[in-house]
Amino acid sequence: MDDLLFHNIDEPGLATIDTYEARGGYSELRRVLSDLTPDEVLTELQASAIRGRGGAGFPMGTKASFLPKGDMDKYLCCNADESEPGTFKDRELMQKNPHQLIEGMIISCFAAGINKAFIYIRGEYEQQADILDAAVNEAYIKGYLGENILGSGVNVSLVVHRGAGAYICGEETALLDSLEGKRGNPRLKPPFPANAGLFQGPTLINNVETLSNVSHIMRMGGAKYADLGTEKSTGTKLVSVSGCVQKPGNYEIELGVPSREIIYGLAGGPPAGRQIKAWFPGGSSAPVLTADELDLPYDFDSMAGAGSMLGSGAIIVIDDSISIVDVALRTAKFYKHESCGKCTPCREGTSWTVKMLQRVEDGLATPMDLDIIESVCDQIMGNCLCVLGDAMAMPVSSMVKKFRPEFEAHIESARAARMPLDEATLTDELDLKEMAAH
Amino acid sequence: MPEEKDMSGKSNVGESVDAGEENVTSSDSAVAVQVPSLSYESPFTVVDALPPGYSKRPAGEPERNVISFTIDGADVRAPEGIMLVDAAKYGGVEIPVFCYEPKLGAPVGACRMCLVEIEGIPKLQTACSTPVRDGMAVSTRSPRVIEAQNSVVEFILANHPLDCPVCDKGGECPLQDISYGWGRGKSRFAEPKRHFEKPVALSPSIAIDRERCILCYRCVRFSQEVSEDYQLVLLDRGADSHVGTFDGNEYVAPFSGNIIDLCPVGALTSRAYRFRARPWDIEQGGSVCSMCPGQCNVDYTVRDDKVMRVQARENAAVDDGWLCDRGRFAYQAWESDARITQPMIRQGEKLMPARWDHALEVAAAALKKSGPRTAALAGGGTTNEEGWLLRRLMLEALGSPHFDSRRGGKLDADVARTLTEPAVTLSVPDVEWADAIVVIGSELVDEMPILDLRVRKAVNRNGAALAVATARPSSLDDKASVTARMAPGRDDAFIQALLAALAGNDVGDLASRAGADAENISQIAGLLKNAKRPAVLWGERMLYASTGTASAKAICNLVAMLGLAATDGAGHLQIPVQANGRGLREVGVLPNLGPALSDSATQGMSSDEIADALGDELSAILLLGTDPILDSPDGARWDAALRAAPNVIAFSSWLDPATERHATVVFPAEVGPEKEGTLTHPDGRIQRLRQTVDHAGEVNSGWWVLDQLAARIGVDFGVKVVHQVTAQIAEGVSIYAGISSNEIGGTGVRWQERTAASNLPAPARSTFDLEIPPAAPQAAPGSSSLRFGTFRSLWSGADVENAATLAPLVTASRLELSPADGQRLGVATGDSVTLTNAAEGKTTAVVALRDAVPTGSAFLLDSQDDGLRRIAAGRPELVEVTP
Repeated sequence: MDDLLFHNIDEPGLATIDTYEARGGYSELRRVLSDLTPDEVLTELQASAIRGRGGAGFPMGTKASFLPKGDMDKYLCCNADESEPGTFKDRELMQKNPHQLIEGMIISCFAAGINKAFIYIRGEYEQQADILDAAVNEAYIKGYLGENILGSGVNVSLVVHRGAGAYICGEETALLDSLEGKRGNPRLKPPFPANAGLFQGPTLINNVETLSNVSHIMRMGGAKYADLGTEKSTGTKLVSVSGCVQKPGNYEIELGVPSREIIYGLAGGPPAGRQIKAWFPGGSSAPVLTADELDLPYDFDSMAGAGSMLGSGAIIVIDDSISIVDVALRTAKFYKHESCGKCTPCREGTSWTVKMLQRVEDGLATPMDLDIIESVCDQIMGNCLCVLGDAMAMPVSSMVKKFRPEFEAHIESARAARMPLDEATLTDELDLKEMAAH
Repeated sequence: MPEEKDMSGKSNVGESVDAGEENVTSSDSAVAVQVPSLSYESPFTVVDALPPGYSKRPAGEPERNVISFTIDGADVRAPEGIMLVDAAKYGGVEIPVFCYEPKLGAPVGACRMCLVEIEGIPKLQTACSTPVRDGMAVSTRSPRVIEAQNSVVEFILANHPLDCPVCDKGGECPLQDISYGWGRGKSRFAEPKRHFEKPVALSPSIAIDRERCILCYRCVRFSQEVSEDYQLVLLDRGADSHVGTFDGNEYVAPFSGNIIDLCPVGALTSRAYRFRARPWDIEQGGSVCSMCPGQCNVDYTVRDDKVMRVQARENAAVDDGWLCDRGRFAYQAWESDARITQPMIRQGEKLMPARWDHALEVAAAALKKSGPRTAALAGGGTTNEEGWLLRRLMLEALGSPHFDSRRGGKLDADVARTLTEPAVTLSVPDVEWADAIVVIGSELVDEMPILDLRVRKAVNRNGAALAVATARPSSLDDKASVTARMAPGRDDAFIQALLAALAGNDVGDLASRAGADAENISQIAGLLKNAKRPAVLWGERMLYASTGTASAKAICNLVAMLGLAATDGAGHLQIPVQANGRGLREVGVLPNLGPALSDSATQGMSSDEIADALGDELSAILLLGTDPILDSPDGARWDAALRAAPNVIAFSSWLDPATERHATVVFPAEVGPEKEGTLTHPDGRIQRLRQTVDHAGEVNSGWWVLDQLAARIGVDFGVKVVHQVTAQIAEGVSIYAGISSNEIGGTGVRWQERTAASNLPAPARSTFDLEIPPAAPQAAPGSSSLRFGTFRSLWSGADVENAATLAPLVTASRLELSPADGQRLGVATGDSVTLTNAAEGKTTAVVALRDAVPTGSAFLLDSQDDGLRRIAAGRPELVEVTP
């Protein structure tokens, strides 16, 4: 397989428009604007069957076709708020090849009749935001953005907007609120963004990687693109591999390759002498899989079939030197910290789970607490306003289920380590008065 | 409704004329005792049910189809598209909610308490945000749903302190009710709870306990989306989220107290009510607030015969369940030491306490002596009954036609009748569903606060286009698609310009006479022309200006030109200066018109004429709950007039200037919850005041005092209880013919919607020839003269000054100037300036620079201060402002 997204990725200067154009960049945009109608572009996107690379995996062409026709302000929001632990693919795409993204966005705008586009970029990505700003500026100067692009009569404006440091703003409706200048809280759906999104206008929201694929799809043709990957997971995918591997990094793979090939083949597997205990196949919100599941093909449906998800394509590997209790607690803490607090199960459930896992970690729990953790996670899942609550409940619950003996052993050993339980420790740690009050 | 109790002893003498009320109670209980049989047929399935107070669907509100769906196995019919939570009620099923409150606008689905299972949808859905569709099958009691309900209650209680025994909300708390009804009854939460400092003052009126808060977002949504003061926000994130103001300052806003009613737990409590009573100590008494023309429906919370709290009593046709802070907190003044609670007689310079019969004798003797040379003014809180008896006292006992409920000159009979025509009068719900609203010459938030919220609702939810045409910048400017400014007091010229624009004539000259921008006027005309159901809201205050008569005629012409009579849901609404201004006009407290605006055999003097004639042709005046020194636009003139009057008989609750300086006899007046009687809302809705507490001290009912005075002069009114007065009104006021307490009920009735409405005399003409208005006042270029207008604040009056939590809001002196004028004159906000009115002398005022004030105009707050009131006397068009 040839790289699509990562083609020439390490070429110095690729981030500048001159180099990008010299490598054939913006030629697809020129062809699309001069030769094709928006509907023809949409047809190609739908034929490619490309699924969203941000986590939910919804077919991109179908989503673009949901936007109502008509003469009104329509919006494209590129979700560059890449904040899922373990995910760092969009960062590299934006840093090294920003024009690939911009070209994809302009073509998408043309296809869906969109005139206003935004890139909502994670606040911590300062360097990447600077690069994008420069690239957008270059595109305006060259006439790829602005009024009457390349004489086609198409108008697209593009603004890079920097987030202020909240994971929740990667949730598409919270992103819209944040972009509108409000507190980034998820909105109730329906209405869906396609009908009433940014400033209540029709809005298409796509991930950086998805949009970066658009010029390649147009170049290859949708059907040809769909030949890559599996039937229901077409194309290539950037995978961020991190954790206990020898060669962590971003790799472009064809969807459907065996997971073992990515972790061992590309990323070099765990350090010598270590065994893989568990791995997150799609970011820290995906339920963990075990070493027994390493031979599963890496695609959307196989991962879902195994009870997990491909998510953003971030593989985090955990070897046998790592305590699964630590991983569960660390994961839960992240989501508790990032919960916006709007809906009850997520706000209270994540905070409660952290408190219980902390007791497990400290040896102040009993196995019964593990039952409560599982039950609390069950009650979060599916009952929240957005998926952030599920994003904690799913991995935590999967770890407790799949590694229960390790949790129980940890409770026992941590408790033993605390012995003898003198009164001072108890009062200190448990705040008995506090507990008695409840 | 209050429980039956001996109201005062005095008013319940004789047979119960209140029998109608008992009928209401008995028919209510007849509904309540219907026990669902096994073959369950819901008693709730009245599909075309309208909100309380609505007699018909507003013309602009779209009709909904009726659909069928099943809930917990029962077939239910409900209007299509309403949220499942509401649709379930048609089947008698309650779905628990915390965050859902339709009054706040679109649902947010935050609390997750209302999760239900819908056939065909894999995930549980929030019933608060799922519109009902034909054929839906909904379950609220399936094992999955019960599990979810139990968990949400458990989650919500995890960080809730459960300090119910010391919480004000305990006993009337939705969280308690829902925990009992839908909770597991026990918690598995064994961790330390979240802690905050508690309680802290959110404002002078409201305490916030952030530990009790369940983060339902109601208060924040109210601030952001209903009152639009944009002060409350959620701070921090996740489990650490808490409610506060965005800038950390106190939450001070005209409607802030509503968040106390909205809070479903004890997180937001009234500081004035905290720890004063528990729900089992109190009775709730329904009545109507009479502090402004809004006449919001209220519940008085009574403990030990004292009002402890005032809450909104939802009447969608009047107030939408909201209340302004004045209506909510001014009750504290009723218990203050400043209140007059016994009769007084002036002896020398001082007012001395007197026995009732002595005070009545002295007053009756003075009135009898003065006879036809007596005048009377009725104040805003005067009930229809008091107004009716005042009229009878003046005409039958004293032979004097000199009484008025308005300030300024006389109201032309044809103008009055034209503007009162049922076909052109808007109801409050009509305002909500109008497609274009024009506000002329009124600052709603100060003059009829609750209507400000209704206008915002019309704009925000129903997409109404709003135009605001005022001299002083309005708080509604931000919502308006057109904002027009005019010179103060030049409403007549402005409306004439608007008429010209509507007729397609040249606007330029009239616009410049109005001191307004011709382009803005054309835009407003365009907006009105394009509207199907235009609504014109205008302030009666403009009629009290020197150009008042011309303005009234121009409004009539506007009504005719817009064809408001022809379209259902289109019309105009006069924002009266006085709370019961409309009722008093209609029962005949006017010098030149009889009951129902009929021709009067006698022609008396208007307020303005009375002021001139006191001490001369007139020798005594009755002040029924009014101090014209404070209530009139040129109060300073009244100070002199009352001084000249040998006898001033005041009915007052407060030692206001007129009472303190000039009254010879003072009768202590009732305050809101002590009153029984009726009021008429600006939209014609006759509403009922119910007495909920006994009179303070030696206070007696106003109607009783009037009856006693008449008796001592030798006229028997034949009334023993106030309801007999209501009965006399029902007989004597043709447009109110046959009205009864029973018919008025708890939500009131609009007289325009009764057959007796046809008794309104037709005007001889309803359009008028208009004179070319005078030119707008022009200051000499570079001079320190500015166009001069006055305004009143919601935060004024004795009830506000004597209420502990409102008193800090009273501003003694405020002169609003534009920043440009401020710079030119070299003054900044907070500086004192000298105001000079050529005829009346000088005084000082405190400057407030306000961006939106048009350059060249100055606006002075109506104030208690004599010096400031003198500046406004004679209604000058220009004043000199010097540093």
